[in-house]
Amino acid sequence: MAYADLRDFLAALDREGQLLTYSEPVAPEPDIGAAARATANITDRGPALLFGNINGYEPGKGRVAINVVGSWPNHALLLGLDKDTSVKDQFFEFAGRWDAFPGPIVRREDAPWKEVTLTEDIDLFQLLPLFRLNTYDVGCYIDKAVVISRDPDDPDDFGKQNVGIYRIQVKDKDRLGIQPLAAHDLGLHLQHAEERGENLPVAIALGNEPVITTVGGMPLAYDRSEYEMAAAIQGAPYPITTAPVTGLDVPYGSEVVIEGEIIAGEREIEGPFGEFTGHYSGAKRQPVIRIHQVSHRRNPIFEHLYLGMPWTEMDYTLALNTSVPLYRQLKTAFPEVTAVNAMYTQGLLGIISVKQRFGGFAKAVGMRAMTLPHGLAYCKVLIMVDDDVDPFNLAQVMWALSVHYHPLHDTVTVPNLSVLALDPSSDPAGITHKVILDATTPIAPEERGHYSQVVGNPERTADWENIVKGLLK
Amino acid sequence: MNDTDVNTSICPRCDAENVRVLTTSPVPGGWTMYVCVTCVYSWRSTEPASATDPLTYPAEFKINPAEIPAIPAIPAVPPRRR
Ligand SMILES: [Zn+2]
Repeated sequence: MAYADLRDFLAALDREGQLLTYSEPVAPEPDIGAAARATANITDRGPALLFGNINGYEPGKGRVAINVVGSWPNHALLLGLDKDTSVKDQFFEFAGRWDAFPGPIVRREDAPWKEVTLTEDIDLFQLLPLFRLNTYDVGCYIDKAVVISRDPDDPDDFGKQNVGIYRIQVKDKDRLGIQPLAAHDLGLHLQHAEERGENLPVAIALGNEPVITTVGGMPLAYDRSEYEMAAAIQGAPYPITTAPVTGLDVPYGSEVVIEGEIIAGEREIEGPFGEFTGHYSGAKRQPVIRIHQVSHRRNPIFEHLYLGMPWTEMDYTLALNTSVPLYRQLKTAFPEVTAVNAMYTQGLLGIISVKQRFGGFAKAVGMRAMTLPHGLAYCKVLIMVDDDVDPFNLAQVMWALSVHYHPLHDTVTVPNLSVLALDPSSDPAGITHKVILDATTPIAPEERGHYSQVVGNPERTADWENIVKGLLK
Repeated sequence: MNDTDVNTSICPRCDAENVRVLTTSPVPGGWTMYVCVTCVYSWRSTEPASATDPLTYPAEFKINPAEIPAIPAIPAVPPRRR
């Protein structure tokens, strides 16, 4: 199952009743951000929103799609699954496809975004209905585009070409601010460029089918190609096209491709921006992009992501592509791990289910999770549960925590570890204690508590689950 | 609200009198975007007062222009290779 482009996915959502097209006039602010926030507030089965009549733009021209993967049904449809697929089943489907890496890519040069080319008098505000998302954002942002760059020290390495999502402040008609942290692949490319005294060419592809957007937010190893991972996840070759100015490989189906360069040595005030932690980021001096050329479809759709206090589209988008890499990396060391739910604030809090081999085993698995690449910046609170507890079922997790967890024996606090600086509790920013709450059942030689008389399912419960499901359909 | 109703000479965020027109709406008369040259805050003429009014802009989001040069550069600019 592969979607050709954003429009193809929106059409699929529409067929499934998961797209809401709003044709009445709206103001860029505060309406569009408020509508996306409201949808996330009222349901976890909400639709994508498509606005086609935005003040200042001709009706049918400046269009905004938001909340596109902002619910579990939409995430299931992204994977080509039935929209009612459970989160746990979506997790195992995603994990299975992850193992198909690397998938094939296919090169096509007839990309639909080659319809129109702008080289002079570029003004992004004329082309796209940019808007302020949250009240105290410093301005208009692009937050769901994939940014493509190559390693200037190894420009021919396809795997080291990076496709990632970074927040981008639109500072002027043709000038952007970008946030490539040192730990990000783009940060490494920029470091190499600046060490060489060169600008770093970048392509910014907006409005894509949902798989490359998902993979762009995935913590992949440095030399792994996001396009080859997208092919694995969608189960079909991933089509890419050479961008005309920079020669970078960009998605075939994008709405808009912006090409330019990050200017070596320049840093300028950027932010604040409302972040996925539910707090604003504050202001930093960050790199700047000068735009040289824009290629686009006629009347492109501006796809945007709402983020802020969880849950938002950001959390649905990152839920499984955070959980699956942790699961796969953890399972390499400990095959006893049965599932990982790291979908709370990108894995600042995670739940790991594991079949204990002996007393203390689950605590060791938790320590390992903290030292995985993603764990270095996340995994501040880890809840360990037995293999028969579904970590995606919070009722079960809270049960395990309430009756298995003993505060004296089952709390492991590790002082002064690294965490992402955006965690507002970190002090100094980027440093925190981390904790494991072990809610597994104690086993030998750790014999304590009274766990021999579990109330199990009555006989034939599994049969009756199917009977009741059938009757409810 | 019309353009004439909103402050267009002082930045709501840093109070600098260093504001210019960034762009105007594709459909004429829809709105005007302004940007502060000092702190790169931008706003639209049609936005609520929370985004446009220097007097009520919250203190925790205000910024002093004198402090901007000392804001940390992230990522830091690395030294040139020799
Ligand atoms: Zn200002």
